[in-house]
Amino acid sequence: MPHQLEKRVLLEHAEDPALRTLDGYRRLAGGYETLERAYKEMEQDEVLKELEDSGLRGRGGAGFAMGKKASFLPRGDMAKYLCCNADESEPGAFKDRELMQRNPHQLIEGIAIAALAADAGHAFIFIRGEYDEQADILDAAVAEAYEAGYLGTNILGCHRDLELVVHRGAGAYICGEETALLDALEGKRGNPRLKPPFPAVQGLYGGPTLINNVETLSNVPHIVRRGADWFKGFGTEQSPGTKVVSISGGVKRPGNYEVELGISTRELVCDLAGGPEDGHEIKAFFPGGSSSPVLKAEEGLDLPYSFEAMAEAGSMLGSGSIIVCDDRVSIPHLALRTARFYHHESCGKCAPCREGTNWTVKMLERMVRGEATPLDLDIVSSVQQNIIGHCLCVLGDSMAMPVGAMVRKFREEFEEVMENPELVLDPHAVVQAPPETLGASA
Amino acid sequence: MSPAGREVTITIDGREVPAIEGEMLHDAARKGDVEIPYFCYEPKLGDPVGACRMCLVEIEGIPRLQTSCSTPVREGMVVHTRTEQVKHAQSAVVEFLLVNHPLDCPVCDKGGECPLQDISYGWGPGKSRVIDEKRHFEKPIELSPLVAIDRERCILCYRCVRFSQEISEDAQLQLLDRGDRTYVGTFDDRPYVAPFHGNITDICPVGALTNYTYRFRARPWDIEHAGSVCTLCPSQCNVSFTVRDEKVKRVISRDNAEVDDGWLCDRGRYGFEMFDAPERITEPRLKGGTEAGWEQAIAKAAEGLRAAADSSHSGVGSKSVAAIVGDASNEEGFLLQRLLRDALGSPHIDSRPSRGPKAAVLRRLNEPAISAKVSDIDEADAILVLGTDPLHSSPILDLRVRKAIRRNGAKLVVATERPTALDGGAEAIARFAPGQAAHFVGELAGALGGRENVATPISGTLADAEKVVVIWGERIAREDGAAEALLDVAAAIGMSGSEGSGLLEIPDTTNARGLREAGCLPDAGPGLAETAVGMATEEIRQGLISGEVAGLILFGADPLRDFPDTPAWEEALTAADFVVSFSMHENATTAKADVVFPLETHAEKDGTVTHPDGRLQRVRPSAGRPGEIRPNVLVLSQLAENLGLVTGIDSQPTAFAALTEAVSFYNGITDEQIGGRGLRWQDREGGPEHGNAPAPEGATQSEETGPTETGGTEPAETERDAPLSVVQPEQTPGGVASAKDVAAEPTPAADGSLTLGTYRDLWAGPITELNPPLKFLQPQQRVEVSTADAERLGLRSGDRVRVSQGAAGVEAEVHVKERVSKGVAFMAEGVLDGNANALLNGGPVQVKIEKLSEVRA
Repeated sequence: MPHQLEKRVLLEHAEDPALRTLDGYRRLAGGYETLERAYKEMEQDEVLKELEDSGLRGRGGAGFAMGKKASFLPRGDMAKYLCCNADESEPGAFKDRELMQRNPHQLIEGIAIAALAADAGHAFIFIRGEYDEQADILDAAVAEAYEAGYLGTNILGCHRDLELVVHRGAGAYICGEETALLDALEGKRGNPRLKPPFPAVQGLYGGPTLINNVETLSNVPHIVRRGADWFKGFGTEQSPGTKVVSISGGVKRPGNYEVELGISTRELVCDLAGGPEDGHEIKAFFPGGSSSPVLKAEEGLDLPYSFEAMAEAGSMLGSGSIIVCDDRVSIPHLALRTARFYHHESCGKCAPCREGTNWTVKMLERMVRGEATPLDLDIVSSVQQNIIGHCLCVLGDSMAMPVGAMVRKFREEFEEVMENPELVLDPHAVVQAPPETLGASA
Repeated sequence: MSPAGREVTITIDGREVPAIEGEMLHDAARKGDVEIPYFCYEPKLGDPVGACRMCLVEIEGIPRLQTSCSTPVREGMVVHTRTEQVKHAQSAVVEFLLVNHPLDCPVCDKGGECPLQDISYGWGPGKSRVIDEKRHFEKPIELSPLVAIDRERCILCYRCVRFSQEISEDAQLQLLDRGDRTYVGTFDDRPYVAPFHGNITDICPVGALTNYTYRFRARPWDIEHAGSVCTLCPSQCNVSFTVRDEKVKRVISRDNAEVDDGWLCDRGRYGFEMFDAPERITEPRLKGGTEAGWEQAIAKAAEGLRAAADSSHSGVGSKSVAAIVGDASNEEGFLLQRLLRDALGSPHIDSRPSRGPKAAVLRRLNEPAISAKVSDIDEADAILVLGTDPLHSSPILDLRVRKAIRRNGAKLVVATERPTALDGGAEAIARFAPGQAAHFVGELAGALGGRENVATPISGTLADAEKVVVIWGERIAREDGAAEALLDVAAAIGMSGSEGSGLLEIPDTTNARGLREAGCLPDAGPGLAETAVGMATEEIRQGLISGEVAGLILFGADPLRDFPDTPAWEEALTAADFVVSFSMHENATTAKADVVFPLETHAEKDGTVTHPDGRLQRVRPSAGRPGEIRPNVLVLSQLAENLGLVTGIDSQPTAFAALTEAVSFYNGITDEQIGGRGLRWQDREGGPEHGNAPAPEGATQSEETGPTETGGTEPAETERDAPLSVVQPEQTPGGVASAKDVAAEPTPAADGSLTLGTYRDLWAGPITELNPPLKFLQPQQRVEVSTADAERLGLRSGDRVRVSQGAAGVEAEVHVKERVSKGVAFMAEGVLDGNANALLNGGPVQVKIEKLSEVRA
């Protein structure tokens, strides 16, 4: 049974393997009823209005209002596209994997309804290359949906067409950036494009394109089915709805938990995920994946878990992935791990990110080897400042913000490791394999 | 991203700057004299990429700094480029760019002319905080046999890759790997060989891409830059010579959007070492190669020409000297025709390698109302490439057409004998059989007029377009009636009434237009004015053989290499009593000459040339003349004087003044007006509305028999002249194919012979033989046949064959090409071994192919 703090909408019936199949989805969740109603009874503007009214914010990281984004697409006869961003690659984030693996039809139905709102005739699910199993599941579900007439030409006799293609990425974090995703989908090197023009105006193959995250699109059938007001009944005013939160790191029960936005962060981390292992304390946590600035336990744990509260605290909710660091974690090593990830994934197109991530890694490596001075710490800080706001896309900032925050908030730890590198604990001690299941309470 | 066009005012650093709405802020700032540093931005390369982040500026109302290269200007925009925030960001970007840069300026060729150096000094932090190891690559390595790449110096600005992807569209250069491991390279490390690839060395903002021809040759403080014009092909690209110790060390592009868009082909860029080739003629010579003093050689030439002119083989004594001009400036051409017409009293002068339209037709083709200029291509709705492959004949126009398609959505139609490099971007393609150009162009005029015929599949695109530019090859006009048919096409399109529509010729020789306008035509004097009709090139050849012509002046022309029918030219030059050859290099023709005078190169010459679109451009002396070489105009003037004609020309200015006075539509043009950008005589204020020299209408219109007529009716005297199976229109109708569907093609002759089509390869000729760096590009003769013919004749790519026409034959390697039409074989003109000119005889010829050896499996 789900924990009482959980509020399962997207993850309802998620334990039942039958949900993966079309039959199961229909039986357990009333699957495709909403699609049928939307296609047969609703106009584009009605669907769009419902989405706009719901206040649903993008679940991929930026938190931009989904309905508003869809409304930016120009009207007219040109080819329009919908892309589902399933390139979930940020350290700490594993919620989309769960959603696709357990309930692929919910996503497909969401895409089909969103395509109605965007007037898109072609849709793509750009799935992270490593999500092999999930891609297979999606492929099977898409085939079922085609078979049942929910996709393809003249859907349900409504004279509307939608082609849906599951495209497997080649394993690059940058392709989760929406314009890099588009380039990769077009067969080019996956590098971000200059914005403007924004994808809503000029996206895939130059056509207007709506790009949304898996979780965002999975919400669509529920909103259209039960109405915007129902959706707004959950969460806070600025962060309506439920959120699947991936919790990992130094907790007893890591996993995905679907909760109402605005829940206390402490409840999330300590009640749902079981809190730190016995004898340890939480030192800090990333509230929204590895790209969010770390919050010390005392500054963040008592905040409501919402877009606005995390922003106010100088961090962000991002994709909703909490990484907990207990007192065994060496922050300098953590900073290095974080920087290494972004250095490895930087596409290299713009100078501040390409060179900044590389330089930061080299400096942090020297620090944990004890080959640096406090002056270097100032340089690391200044380099992070020099990256932020100067890059072509947000990848550079995604390293600079957390690393900058770590140096700022845990400066004494960096000084300590430079002084006595051999005394600092191996950060690998608390590294765990990514959880394979729903939260342990499931 | 075309600017909206509205004029707006923006404020940059507190100063009001006029701008055009929609243009990039960086461009507006530059025009307003505000310097914003940048690396990756280069409008020539298309849309901005915003990769280097160097041009960040503050725009009021936008919280984050913006890249000025990618921010379109709006009315009232308030921009700051020197605030603390901006300075901080710019300094940070410089620091980042230098994190992995080796800072090896003292040994870097770019040092002193390096944007990275300049910007680091101007906007950088001044000292480095980087003490960590930098990235390492093997360096320098060959990106191509001509360009070295030093990947450590590369700042990954994307320029070279964008050039390869979006300008030359060869798509060979790629960025490989990612992050700070990213490097520029090619698939599988193959050499980057493409006809424009040298441009990447011009646009590289650091020392990562350098020319092997210039590495370690000079420092910026050792050199001088001299602006001139490249005269290696009719494109007449604007160049700047890098000169050290009076020698050319490098050729770089000199941006002129009206001519070359700031690009240069590799021919023009690397074809300068032949200025110093051992084959260069640096002093006057007499027969057998003996060097002679100038006075002696001029006297000898005058004496020989006078004797030839006075000799009376056929009783027409005063008409027995002729001249053929190939590569020459307007002034040289003008002086030469004076020398011939006024000093030697002969009307026999031509500037075309083969036949050409009559003067009456040329005057009509010269009409400004139906003339296009190069930049019209940019704005054209439709472009017809007719009977030419720009890549080989005027390379820079290949890029221009690609640009029009890519950026302006122009629709391209290609109608040629041989597949062209532009076929890939064409909306419709038509193929006509060699010798069928006139027929095809006539059909096209008909189709544009609404008739249903073979040209109908391509005429729709042209008929639907408002602005149409027709890029046509001079060689189609070798066929009788083709130029007239072209005028009909122009009329059917309604060119004279449509601004931006027009004809643009790609001639066979560099300054063809200038020489025609200077009077080097058998039936027109300076300004295309009427004059006594003389012999054209092929008649001169026949005249030499028959004895009607005794003396010949060849100026920058090598008939044994470049003109059709090599055996006949051999015979003609052997039969000539006296030959004077002006040539840059020794060649088969100079070996047959009685007196050889050295020519200046385009780096040494002072003179003007006229671009095919009518733009007069100035070739300026940039390097020292080697050996005893004298200015050619002086030599010609002195020779004329020895022949009794005092021209009063003793310098370039006097020669230019005489030229502009003689050519009606050049009247009053001054050197200052030409300046560094050239002047299209059609565009000049107060210039003539029509290019026609005043000539009686009746005389120019009614004359129906062209100068080529006599050549064709020459009695067959030798075996070579025996009638050949000339392909008639009924046998091989102009085959037409749409872009997808290759349809009607000439039916192969019953005896298995194929119709020969020839083309001038970009790399055929002295350019690859005399320039050591370009030797690797020297083309070998190959015969291109269709898949069907290859199958029928049992040929495979790589087989060695002998291709013969009558008694003449050359060896070649078989290349089976899918896009070649059935019944046709293509071979290159001007190659060292197996020159296809040996097989030509003035009309379409049939060739037989016999296998010599098979390709090894």
